[in-house]
Amino acid sequence: MVVWSILLYSSWGITILGLLALPFIPIRFKANFAVFILFANALLTSVLVLPSLSGEALSFVFYAGSFVKEVPVKIDSLAAWFVLIINFTSVTGIIYGSGYMKPYTDSKAKLSLHWILYILFHLSMIWVCLLQNGFAFLIAWEAMSLTSMLLVIFDHNNTNTIKAGINYLVQMHLSIVFLTIGFVWVYFVTGSFGFEAIHEFFLKQTNIWLFLIFFVGFGFKAGFVPFHSWLPHAHPAAPSHVSGVMSGVIVKLGIYGIIRMISFLHADFVLLGEIIITVSVLTGLYGIINAAVHRDFKKMLAYCTIENIGIIGIGLGIGLIGMGTNSILLFYLGFAGALLHVLNHSLFKSLLFYTAGSVYQQTHTRDMEKLGGLLKKMPKTAFLFLIGAIAIGGLPPFNGFISEFVIYGGLVEGMKLQSISLISLLILTFAGLSLIGGLSILTFTKTFGTIFLGSEREHHHQEPKEVSMIMLLPQYLIIAMMLSVAVFPQWYLEITGKISYNLISSSNLFTSAFEPSILVAYSETMSSISLYSLIFVGLIGLFWLVRMAATKGKNRVYDETWGCGYQAPNSRMQYSGKSFSKPLGKMFNFLLIEKKNYPELTAGEIFPETRKYSSHYVDFFEYYFIDKMNQQILYFINYFKFIQNGRVQSYVMYGIVFILAIFVLTMFNLVK
Amino acid sequence: MLSFLLILIAAFFFTGVIIRTKSIASGRKGPGILQPIKDVIRLFKKGAVYSTTTSFIFQIAPTIYFSSVVMAMMVVPFGQAKGIISFNGDFVFFAYVLALGKFFSIISAMDTGSSFEGMGASREALYSLFAEPAFFILMGSFALLTGHTSFHLMFMALHLGSYVSYAIALLATFVLVMILMVENSRMPIDDPKTHLELTMIHEVMILDNSGFDLGLILTTGYLKFALYGALIVNLFIGMVPYQYAIMLFFAIQFILAVSIGLIESFMARFRMSHNPQFIFTLTSVSLLIFFGVLLVLGKFV
Repeated sequence: MVVWSILLYSSWGITILGLLALPFIPIRFKANFAVFILFANALLTSVLVLPSLSGEALSFVFYAGSFVKEVPVKIDSLAAWFVLIINFTSVTGIIYGSGYMKPYTDSKAKLSLHWILYILFHLSMIWVCLLQNGFAFLIAWEAMSLTSMLLVIFDHNNTNTIKAGINYLVQMHLSIVFLTIGFVWVYFVTGSFGFEAIHEFFLKQTNIWLFLIFFVGFGFKAGFVPFHSWLPHAHPAAPSHVSGVMSGVIVKLGIYGIIRMISFLHADFVLLGEIIITVSVLTGLYGIINAAVHRDFKKMLAYCTIENIGIIGIGLGIGLIGMGTNSILLFYLGFAGALLHVLNHSLFKSLLFYTAGSVYQQTHTRDMEKLGGLLKKMPKTAFLFLIGAIAIGGLPPFNGFISEFVIYGGLVEGMKLQSISLISLLILTFAGLSLIGGLSILTFTKTFGTIFLGSEREHHHQEPKEVSMIMLLPQYLIIAMMLSVAVFPQWYLEITGKISYNLISSSNLFTSAFEPSILVAYSETMSSISLYSLIFVGLIGLFWLVRMAATKGKNRVYDETWGCGYQAPNSRMQYSGKSFSKPLGKMFNFLLIEKKNYPELTAGEIFPETRKYSSHYVDFFEYYFIDKMNQQILYFINYFKFIQNGRVQSYVMYGIVFILAIFVLTMFNLVK
Repeated sequence: MLSFLLILIAAFFFTGVIIRTKSIASGRKGPGILQPIKDVIRLFKKGAVYSTTTSFIFQIAPTIYFSSVVMAMMVVPFGQAKGIISFNGDFVFFAYVLALGKFFSIISAMDTGSSFEGMGASREALYSLFAEPAFFILMGSFALLTGHTSFHLMFMALHLGSYVSYAIALLATFVLVMILMVENSRMPIDDPKTHLELTMIHEVMILDNSGFDLGLILTTGYLKFALYGALIVNLFIGMVPYQYAIMLFFAIQFILAVSIGLIESFMARFRMSHNPQFIFTLTSVSLLIFFGVLLVLGKFV
């Protein structure tokens, strides 16, 4: 037996045994047992893929029934990169989840199902990265969508959760429809479901349409605008560790699919690059503008995920343009930056979702306007959130800056291109990316300020306190990982550079050889950046010491916040998050549709009673396109309501008619 | 290293010159040029009052704000002399380091739980984000024009040859001056001398800061002036020998300070709701620069 088969069989064996045993484990050890199985799975698959990360691809074939026949599996560096990211995030997710799910001990069956689904979910994500056969890939993809959907609706007594779950389910199947069309098209042209066939297809036929079909299919998962509308519903509805993993990893598998398809492409790189860049900039801006105004902090994080997908997409677009214009550096910066941002985003987004989950667990609200001053009650969580917020804003000295810098580098390199249209596109992208950066600072200062700073806006029934160690531990792990990227960016960039090189190594795309010298120069820049970031931190430390020394022994008085002359301020008078982002909301009122709900004062109402005012923002695309379209479809479908009339007799009749029809048709040889 | 020192020296006088210009324009004698520095030194010696609502964020934020500007100063070159730090794409680092300082100054305002300071914080975040694209398009255009991607190499290669490039330099100066005004919360955007909290931006954010921290914040403001002034100087000095370049540096910083003083004396602040539009127009000026660069390079056929 070869190594891979030992690893894979033991992974399957552990999974099956674990899943069978899980319902019978006492409730106290259930979570720990699930952690153990998942950890074993993660370890086995990591060992399996680790050699491929920088070295040779590992290919093998296994037999899967008479219909699919032989399924090729290929573990190349791209798959390895994604599998490692999946493993890390899933492990932190389940450790966090084992603490997060503690309060739900009364529902034993629900918990068993939850952990079983989580383990299957993890395994299906890994197999999505490994399989190289369209049919098998779709099965894994479907398994991933279904398990994650069932994980989302953990809190299924809540109608909103069920709604979000169904929304997610429908959109994921739209994604599958597009992917199936793509694979079937390839099958009809080449006669094979294997991934190599896609390459053959691209060699023979026009590249654009098939790629765009795949892009839409994977774009649903990744959350490119306008296929994003499931994210802001599903992420808040799911338990936080699930939303962390979904946002951190599952949307990245959409990116994985797109990169995989790019590796098969043969022509039209520039056009596709332009399309992807345009969509991505719009996605980024749309995501972050929406994130800035929402008061449900998990919804905010979901929109922020859309923004980051936009940033990754910009990287992919730059890479594609580099492939089309024969510019190796551009190709390298685009793809290496995008792949690095995939890792970085999976780190800080899962961190932010976990901290958001901790806040939710302690306060039972996702509405940031009801919170405030949590920094004093949950100092560790606040600190972790702050680090996540700085990192996601792409600010030095954390890892977000590294990948954004590489993508910026790609855009600046793009200025050396010849075509004026490309230069114009890139400079607008440049402006767009900087605007995204500025907006994310606004978003995260608002969120951090409203949730953690100031004083409590509403009294909670239970006093919030710091969450348990088991929930904090995975977050520290993530921070350690983030710091490693920030301090040694050149290592990570070398890996992602190699991955991008492996993507195109088979095709002779670039006329000039792949010169390592340019990349070495870039990796020197990267290492100097991490050095300067450290100097920056040192500088802050130095000035802090100076400040300590200078203020030592000085008079320190503690008093109330200066109320500008007002003597009786209360905590409700604090500046709210809504007012913080209101000017932005007003400026973008064509995009951010605000729905207000309040009763008007009627003519005869002399003594007005207490009344309520509420307002919320709705998603532009959902409101104007998806909902309108749904209404039209419903209107049309209503004409067929008579078929489903609720009478068993009619249903039996349908069955008989159907059987008769088949019978008659076969008799006349119309159906074989 | 040279630019770092020069910026430090210029920062000593910059705000003083502005105040003096404003005084003379309004017919007063005004305080000495060094009065702002004396104010800061007095603040450094004082004790401080802290709000009981605040946390460590409020204490550490001024330090980080100050450090971010000092770090940004290191990146700025001076003609032929590199900055202390210089690498490809360093202007991205410049912008993002400053953004980190802003991040902390915003959350430190939110930390007080005041009904006013959040207002300033919100405006600061909004206005500075609209200034970002202008700066980046400007730098992207320079990268396109010169083929380099670091401050030092870009400014070195910036030759004022044709009439179009004079126009570009002029527009670039305008953009940088306006960014300076936005970043420092000066006149057409914000009135530092206003007495109504509702109409303040920067001043209302630092209502609760006192003592050493307030001094640090004020110093940061002075440094920021000279920092952006140095960027503007760099547009013009290029390969000029040091002895002239240094004189030119102080001359341009002086002219800049005087013109800010004059603008503040003869102009009213914009309506708060018109500010974002105004700042966003900077982006279109930057785009003009971009088109100018395309013209210079002969990309328009």
